[in-house]
Amino acid sequence: MRSIYLVARRDYLGYVQAWGFWLGLLLTPILMGVGMMAPTWAANSQPTRYYTVIEQGTEFADALRAELQEDRIALVRMTLDPVGVLNDEPSDKLRAFDDAIDAGSTVEAALEAAGGAQISLPQADFVAVAPPATDEDSIRPYLMGERLVETSEGPQPLFAAIFVPEDNGEIEYWSENVTSRTLLDQVRAAERKITERKVFEAAGVSPRILNEAEKQRRDITERRARPASSDSGSQVTMADRAPFIASVFMAFLLWFLIFSVVNYLLMGTIEERSNKIFDSLLTSVKLPHMLAGKLLAVLAVALTLMMVWAIGGSVIGAALSGQMPADIRESMFSVAGAVLKPSLLLPAILSFVLGYLMYGAVFLALGSLCDTIQEAQTLMTPLIVMLMVPMFMIVVAISDPESPILSVMSWIPVFTPFLLILRVPTHPPLWEVIGLLVLMVVAALVVLWLASRVYRAGAVHGAGVGDVGKWFSKMLPGKKGETG
Amino acid sequence: MSVHPLEMRSVTKRFGFFTAVRDLSLTVPQGSIVGFLGPNGAGKSTSLRMSLGVLSPDEGQVRLFGGAPDIDTLKRVGFLPEERGLYKKMSPRAIISYFARLKGMSASDSRKRADELLEVMGLGNFGRSRISKLSKGMAQKVQILSALAHRPDFLILDEPFSGLDPVNQQGLEDMIIEEHKRGATILFSTHVMEHAERLCDSIVMMARGRKVFDGTLDQAFGALGRAALIGVEDGYDLNAAISPKGFTENELAGDHWRVSLSAQYDAQDALRAAIEAGAPITSFRPEEARLRDVFVSLVSEAEAEDLEKTLATRKATEAA
Repeated sequence: MRSIYLVARRDYLGYVQAWGFWLGLLLTPILMGVGMMAPTWAANSQPTRYYTVIEQGTEFADALRAELQEDRIALVRMTLDPVGVLNDEPSDKLRAFDDAIDAGSTVEAALEAAGGAQISLPQADFVAVAPPATDEDSIRPYLMGERLVETSEGPQPLFAAIFVPEDNGEIEYWSENVTSRTLLDQVRAAERKITERKVFEAAGVSPRILNEAEKQRRDITERRARPASSDSGSQVTMADRAPFIASVFMAFLLWFLIFSVVNYLLMGTIEERSNKIFDSLLTSVKLPHMLAGKLLAVLAVALTLMMVWAIGGSVIGAALSGQMPADIRESMFSVAGAVLKPSLLLPAILSFVLGYLMYGAVFLALGSLCDTIQEAQTLMTPLIVMLMVPMFMIVVAISDPESPILSVMSWIPVFTPFLLILRVPTHPPLWEVIGLLVLMVVAALVVLWLASRVYRAGAVHGAGVGDVGKWFSKMLPGKKGETG
Repeated sequence: MSVHPLEMRSVTKRFGFFTAVRDLSLTVPQGSIVGFLGPNGAGKSTSLRMSLGVLSPDEGQVRLFGGAPDIDTLKRVGFLPEERGLYKKMSPRAIISYFARLKGMSASDSRKRADELLEVMGLGNFGRSRISKLSKGMAQKVQILSALAHRPDFLILDEPFSGLDPVNQQGLEDMIIEEHKRGATILFSTHVMEHAERLCDSIVMMARGRKVFDGTLDQAFGALGRAALIGVEDGYDLNAAISPKGFTENELAGDHWRVSLSAQYDAQDALRAAIEAGAPITSFRPEEARLRDVFVSLVSEAEAEDLEKTLATRKATEAA
């Protein structure tokens, strides 16, 4: 036991004293934050683009403006009351905003009516301007940036011009830019709406009736069947969704940790091999103790990362909780509560430990065969491809946690740790949960046994990447590998 | 009766079709300094790795302090592997302390011992530097120190002198003598004969995986045979002059004759015989046998034998 502790301690201190560890510790949350904020920043940083509609009247321009406004309306609704939007249970604030929009207010006015004046509304991506010319030849210099149109921001280039003929002829969308499709898509949507309206009108259905029909649409309340003895009613609340959100979060965390920390094992073992330390170590520590120490050290690194991030997240969360709307705070507590429930936490911890042992042992074994990172890369590629599969499965689980593909794939040992967590909230039969846990234990033991053999071959006999090729060629039918 | 630190009985190790060590038996007695000699590829490192249980023999038996080599017994052993290596980002003090603790020392004792050894070896100022900042020789000294920090009963050093300059080689010799005085048994491999001559009580010589000699230094020199080197004036046939007096194995080697001495004669007898025969003597000196000569002679013999065996096997195969 003492030698396991000593190996683990040395390796752990070696990892945490490296600048790469601190870089990962600090950069990971920053990069994740940047990743989450990037779409908003991209939307805000995009300059306003100006377009013009050349038509008789304003029918098409109005329809297009309404389409473009929908995105901003959705954004404001989400900012005003995210939980209400997600759960389709609008708060008073959201209702006031919706009513103002239905009454024909602009987004800015509706926001003010809903009492959301403190929310800074992102600028509109596309703004209509009066046509500077009415024919294609005259408008071309504006589109090419040779001439500018007058706007509230001063003279600006024209991004697009939409020609809508009086008859039922083709609508033409002119722009110098052919990569940005957003405005073009909105033009198509506007045209579809106008056409629909025209068809309804032709059939004797007026726009007023259509609006009325829209308003009379009944709400659909989602209810959950529970045992009659349950005292938590049939209303579907955040507490019902929390286990699913928590399981996806934990599966992703497991994937992320395995993906990021097992590299430490690989690098550490490559360093020991290239520095020729194995003989000194093997005459001081039993091989299983050495492997256990190494796995423990990296596990401790993972726990350190998690702990620092959790403490940092809690501190930031506590600091921001005062400004957080009560319903969001409740939802977060609800998800955190679901994470801490033993029915999810226990399989998650077991999955994490066994999954880590399985992948950790494989990376240790690979490291013992490689003198350089370049050599390791040739062996790692298939493993990384394999590790990407659970990531796709997490995406599947987000839309359908009971998908049969998750059930089937969870019985493939290399995916079990991730997929068991995802399946737990769907309440799979107990025998299946126990079966999957047993499968993980057996798979972890087999992998550890194989890995220790490979490690011994690499550390004691100096087997290398080339020998892996020979082993495979020996296994191929009709081929005999060389011996040496 | 105390058990020997190391006994190997008829040990053979093969790697595929290649036999690295063949039927090796040796004993390292308590308190001795044993030199393990042989050219590159003779099987020395494989034998040492088997003696420590890093490799398992295909045949035969290895006994370390009377038992199979295991991690508890290995705590009494200090090992310097042939392939040198340390954690480059650690400090010498931390490395010496780490290996000493793995061998059972307490944390505080191991650090004290590391400081003490580093001071003795003149590395006191580098105790907290990274290994990557040290010279190759310094790093090697640190590795040697980490092998003996826990005061082992038995030190196994695989080519300890390679990579060291003459001053540091002398320092290492002194250290080996000090460890021996402390009571440690020492087995070290080398192909530098002078170190073995100066340090060893007995030697084991290997060639092509086989043991070709095992005994004391005197026995080794005896195996080579003694001779007197007598110079005479040009054209004088010393062989004809002294053969009738019982010195029958004489050969001209450059400017002097090499007169082989059988057990009952020494070099002075050969000189006396030459004077009595009236030889015009120009120089005389007894031949100083060196371990190098013993080594070359034994290794060549073994290689010649191997060559003969190979040829015989090839002939037999062709005939079949």
